[in-house]
Amino acid sequence: MNPIEITQLSKIFNPSSESKKVTALDNVSLNVEQGSIYGLLGPNGAGKTTMVKILLGITFATSGEAKILGTSISDFQVKNRVGYLPENHKFPNYLNGEDVLKYYAKLGGVNSTNGELMNKIDELLDLVKMRQWKKMKIKKYSKGMMQRLGLAQALINDPELIFLDEPTDGVDPIGRKEIRDILSDLKSEGKTIFVNSHLLSEVELVSDRVAILNLGKLIREGTVDELTSSKEIYKIQIDEEVSEDFYSTSLANFQIQKSSGNTFETLIADNDQLNNLIDKLRSENKTIKSMVPLKNSLEDIFISLIADSNKNSKL
Amino acid sequence: MKNILLTAQLTLREALSRKIFIAFGGISTFILLIFALLFIFLNPEEFTGMVKSPGETIDFTKEIAYGLKLLVVAPLFGLGIFLSIFSASSFIPNMLEKGNIDLLLSKPLSRHQLIIGKFLGGLAVVALNIAYAVIGFWILVGLKFGVWDADFLLTIFSITFAFASLYSLIILIGIITRSSILAMMLSYIIFFILSPVLNMRDSINAVVDSSFLKGILDILYYILPKITELGNLTTELCIGEGINQWQPILTSFLFMILTLYGGIFIFSKKDY
Repeated sequence: MNPIEITQLSKIFNPSSESKKVTALDNVSLNVEQGSIYGLLGPNGAGKTTMVKILLGITFATSGEAKILGTSISDFQVKNRVGYLPENHKFPNYLNGEDVLKYYAKLGGVNSTNGELMNKIDELLDLVKMRQWKKMKIKKYSKGMMQRLGLAQALINDPELIFLDEPTDGVDPIGRKEIRDILSDLKSEGKTIFVNSHLLSEVELVSDRVAILNLGKLIREGTVDELTSSKEIYKIQIDEEVSEDFYSTSLANFQIQKSSGNTFETLIADNDQLNNLIDKLRSENKTIKSMVPLKNSLEDIFISLIADSNKNSKL
Repeated sequence: MKNILLTAQLTLREALSRKIFIAFGGISTFILLIFALLFIFLNPEEFTGMVKSPGETIDFTKEIAYGLKLLVVAPLFGLGIFLSIFSASSFIPNMLEKGNIDLLLSKPLSRHQLIIGKFLGGLAVVALNIAYAVIGFWILVGLKFGVWDADFLLTIFSITFAFASLYSLIILIGIITRSSILAMMLSYIIFFILSPVLNMRDSINAVVDSSFLKGILDILYYILPKITELGNLTTELCIGEGINQWQPILTSFLFMILTLYGGIFIFSKKDY
């Protein structure tokens, strides 16, 4: 049993109205393994938050099946083993930090005594470095402080599965590093973490596996290594200046990512494609001065995959 | 049950964080103090056994006690419900705000528990405020005049019940539109316009000869909560007449149950 099992999940908003109909998720299937950090990437409106909301029963799926911790998502009781930090979360602003955690602990099904709960709250506030502000009304908190408190809230019921939607949003670089360390520690305790983010470098640093979602479709899934090594970018310099038309017409069959004068960067899928490019340049009487493979970052792959996906969806 | 109580408890705290309920309590305290001072200088024995007509005596002490109670409870009904609608109309839209509702629905509680908790929390805060004023005045009058009629205490329930029937509508409108203004406006329209007009529908029908209008007024009368009649019932309880009519209570209760159920049903199907 995997902590998250999703089978052909679809979500269509306003299905009865052709003009307002939006397909937020389109037959998405994926599994998340126990004790891993899973990163879900995608541009704004890709369907990332919708997926998490469906898993937590906040939004209802149009079709498909999903289970969390081996239980159907329609059973709300399973959520006492789940933690969630929503994007732009909002706590009752008349409470202080300590009261927020106490209230969500009780709602989250924590049955410990008051003394045990207070100890747990202090422990978590120490973890997110917020203990000194626990008595302050949260309406005075900064965005970063709210995010830290939100993370503590997601952990208050000692969950087995944790959903984090943009967890480092509004947090300074030091705070981001601290959050990454917390996630690594949670993973080492055997907890499963599902992170939604558009901060690719953050996800690249912590995730074991990554899925890329665009326009509601799962367009790639795998480990960070698998994703970044599947294609390579080459920076190529030729001997003479050429116009932009050359790239858009003569090299139209190649994915040119950047071009300027006699230098361009292109995404190469395999050796055959690389040889085809060399042949093409030679047939156009261009002399190759240099050809350097650039290391792909997750961001490069992400941008390339999204561009391809958008191009295909328009066809 | 635990989840319902937790939600109700947070609603109570939300209400107390707003100055309006504190102001309500402050006004009640001020009025109680005024009457306490007044009662120091009032001698009830002057009225006892006064002759109304030859051969007949009536207990004026009791009459004065009833009159004073009416003097306090009638405005309390109007002002209490007015302020309570004003403050409670934002409970549901606030709960449904993005970032807040996501968190609540991610917890192991069902959607109906959330709405029932909100409903009971709202009622609790109104009931506490009304109870404070009514019980406070009941004790003052009891100590001064020796009149301890329990019927007067029932006004706590009649005022809270009148608010409850409107609050269920506030919840339904809040869930459908997420608008506190609309929920508040509709409640005020029922409270200040429709309910008094429908209460006079027999007089209207006598003047306007239209079977269509009569039909419309009758339908609206039986569908909508009878706030004006619940107000009349409250005054009757003040003067010790007890409950003479059950129809306004039963139909208003039915309205409350149906609108609350409608709100829960819609909430349980909605995406957030």
